[in-house]
Amino acid sequence: MNCEVCQLKELEVESFEIREVLRCILHTIVFHRALGLIRPKDIDLELFEITYVQCGEIEVEKKIDEKVDQFISWIEKHPNKKSQICLSFYEVKSKQPSWFTNKIERLYWEQWYINLNVLQPTKAPVGKSHHSKLVMDPGEASEERSSRRTLLEQSLQEVLFQIIKFVNEKKDHVPPINDGVIYCPFEITIPSSSDSAFGMDMFKRILHSGHPSMLG
Amino acid sequence: MDFPENLPSDVGRLEQIVSHFFPKALHIVLNSRIPSLQSRGRTRERCLSSSSGAGLNNNNVRKSDKWFNLVMGDRPAALEKLHSWHRNILDSMIIDIILVHPTTTIPTDDDLHDDDGSVVRSAETVIERWVVQYENPLIMSPQSSDSVTRYQKVYKKSIIMLRSLYAQTRLLPAYRVSRQLSSSLASSGFDLVYKVSSFSDIFSGPVTETMKEFRFAPVEVPPGRLCASVTYRSDLSDFNLDTHITLPPRIITDYVGSPATDPMRFFPSPGKSIEGTSFIGRAGRPPLTGSSAERPHSWTSGFHRPPAQFPTPNQSFSPAHSHQFSPGLHDFHWSRTDAFGDSHQLSPPFSPSGSPSTPRYISGSNSPRINVRPGTAPVTIPSSATFNRYVSSNFSEPSRKPLPPFSPKSTRRSPSSQDSLPGIALYRSSRSGESPSGLMNQYPAQKLSKDSKYDSGRFSGLLSSSGSPRFGFSRSPSRLSSQDDLDDPDCSCPFDFDDVDESGLQYSQSLDRRKASSSISQSLPIGRKSSQDAAVGVLVHMLKTAPPLRQDSSTYMASMSGVQKEGSVSVSVSGTESEFSMARSTSDALEELRNYKQLKDLLLSKSKSGSGATRVH
Repeated sequence: MNCEVCQLKELEVESFEIREVLRCILHTIVFHRALGLIRPKDIDLELFEITYVQCGEIEVEKKIDEKVDQFISWIEKHPNKKSQICLSFYEVKSKQPSWFTNKIERLYWEQWYINLNVLQPTKAPVGKSHHSKLVMDPGEASEERSSRRTLLEQSLQEVLFQIIKFVNEKKDHVPPINDGVIYCPFEITIPSSSDSAFGMDMFKRILHSGHPSMLG
Repeated sequence: MDFPENLPSDVGRLEQIVSHFFPKALHIVLNSRIPSLQSRGRTRERCLSSSSGAGLNNNNVRKSDKWFNLVMGDRPAALEKLHSWHRNILDSMIIDIILVHPTTTIPTDDDLHDDDGSVVRSAETVIERWVVQYENPLIMSPQSSDSVTRYQKVYKKSIIMLRSLYAQTRLLPAYRVSRQLSSSLASSGFDLVYKVSSFSDIFSGPVTETMKEFRFAPVEVPPGRLCASVTYRSDLSDFNLDTHITLPPRIITDYVGSPATDPMRFFPSPGKSIEGTSFIGRAGRPPLTGSSAERPHSWTSGFHRPPAQFPTPNQSFSPAHSHQFSPGLHDFHWSRTDAFGDSHQLSPPFSPSGSPSTPRYISGSNSPRINVRPGTAPVTIPSSATFNRYVSSNFSEPSRKPLPPFSPKSTRRSPSSQDSLPGIALYRSSRSGESPSGLMNQYPAQKLSKDSKYDSGRFSGLLSSSGSPRFGFSRSPSRLSSQDDLDDPDCSCPFDFDDVDESGLQYSQSLDRRKASSSISQSLPIGRKSSQDAAVGVLVHMLKTAPPLRQDSSTYMASMSGVQKEGSVSVSVSGTESEFSMARSTSDALEELRNYKQLKDLLLSKSKSGSGATRVH
């Protein structure tokens, strides 16, 4: 089974917008992969005029919120960085045990990369006179903020359209729906504090498919 | 996989997927678009969700609702009829979402005319068209996989397709329209209706040009395939929905007072940008409130009065640091000022040049002044000689207070007091950048208390016995005369106020304080420094450290107690090592405090009497 990868369009967000944007994107993706019996929940964003859909599962909500919080904490420690959150859907496969591999294995069949560029709050421009700065800055800052907000709203809508388009176009790789399973198991990978996020990610994967004694 | 129904025939099951797909898609689309269908559906869903408790289970969901694992709630009766109408799966299902909106047309002879001659009609515009169809190919492709697997795959893909259709309905512009219409209170002339047909009317040319299309990837359902698409208007701003639809009122939890209702936050005028600038510069400061212990910014320097003193209902600055300057408030502001007898004006100290934008009603004055409500007059900075006299007189009167006068009642006009105007001097020096003399700390409120004729604020007691600085008070002819008496022809201070008018004293307290803090640190010996700058600096320092003119006793007393704790009159809280200040005693401080308080009470009573009851709130 091949692993389909979707790179979502990069979004420029401010720190206070991260939560809403991430929850919107993550829930939209998971909604399309929650193929069990669900009652969808419409959620209106507060910062944007966008309504997205949640699958309505509390576990999903908790998991996503937890990861978003972790990401926000990471962003606070690593400002001004382009970051990537990876949402991976996997299948848990049991393999024949051997001295190399373990019984349980995760097979990733789809990965979504959410690209964020977290902006820092803009400061007053230097060089203006004192009075004019005081007069113009509030107006200019609010205009700039509103235009940036409008652009972000459009970009976020484009990302949601992108998700729907990808979900529609690629359906064959989605594993069959198991009885009693509401949503496809997934994991969210956020950048780690170490520079080598890739290395940490690989280490995690090895842990999951590693020696039986390493598993909890 | 949990299929709602199990049919022996694979073809039958696949056909069932298709036949259930149509009503499900119809339900999704209409539920998200038609307000009347929304409310019912959502109510039902809320009941279901509340009753289900822990979550969704098979017991509380109807079988027909389990199709495609998407629980939508009960279908309205209209949808049930539509479902029964659409029997042939080969028939396309075209759902038109139509916006009913008012439009003005050219009246004809048969029409009833409005006053302006135009006729308002209702027009219908298709804003969305959803098309769901099952395309049956002419040639059947060979099926390789077994029927169960194929059925599972088809069902899975149709589930995904409906998920994306559900999400898409929330993203398109018509969804916001539907929400607005659902929540609008009154009839706005707008409505969303639907039309379901099996054939489509060709869109008119202009309509199709503005519409975009999105095609869902078809799902292979042997022998054909399920297709869905939507054509929609991406821009609905032409209908001006926002202006017509009345939304329910929302409670603003973080409301802050507007400038019209909180004139203390507002200083006119629209055309007076300099004042605006100055004000804005101060607007970033902490808000001016009745309970704030810190001094307000320059606009209200010297008039740290509680709101009750002014004829405004709300005199506290909101924390929002409003930067608005509205003409309305300007008018109101100045009308109230007029009620005072045209004696209360505020002008920014930052615009001392007396620009035409300055909202001051200073008559006959060419020099910039800072008016303090109610009614103080400009003061002149005494010369050093004058200050020396003040000091000596202060020494001779142990009851003198070192602080700038605060209480209007305590204003005195005593030739022996040798009062200077530390506040004004402070202002002056701040503006001129002169360094004050430590002597200026001595100019006490007691001087003010000796002169009950002065009813203006902080500087009333500072009327110099020597004639300068002059200190004008509003609405007090006696003050005027006293000021004349106190004129010092030798005073060549650039901050001389030649005119004493009823408009009151203008000064920039905050600015003075800031600059005084930098200038007051210099300690100047008494009587040794003949520099006028030193005297001005002392006055500046006294003004800086003088308590605000507020009715808030807590604030006042706190500031006074802070002064008293010094153990000396000196307001050199920043550690001025003036020998003059050290010579003062606590009793002098208390006396001065009393004088200030009397002066303040007098000013407050005056403002109350002259306030008129023009309250905004």
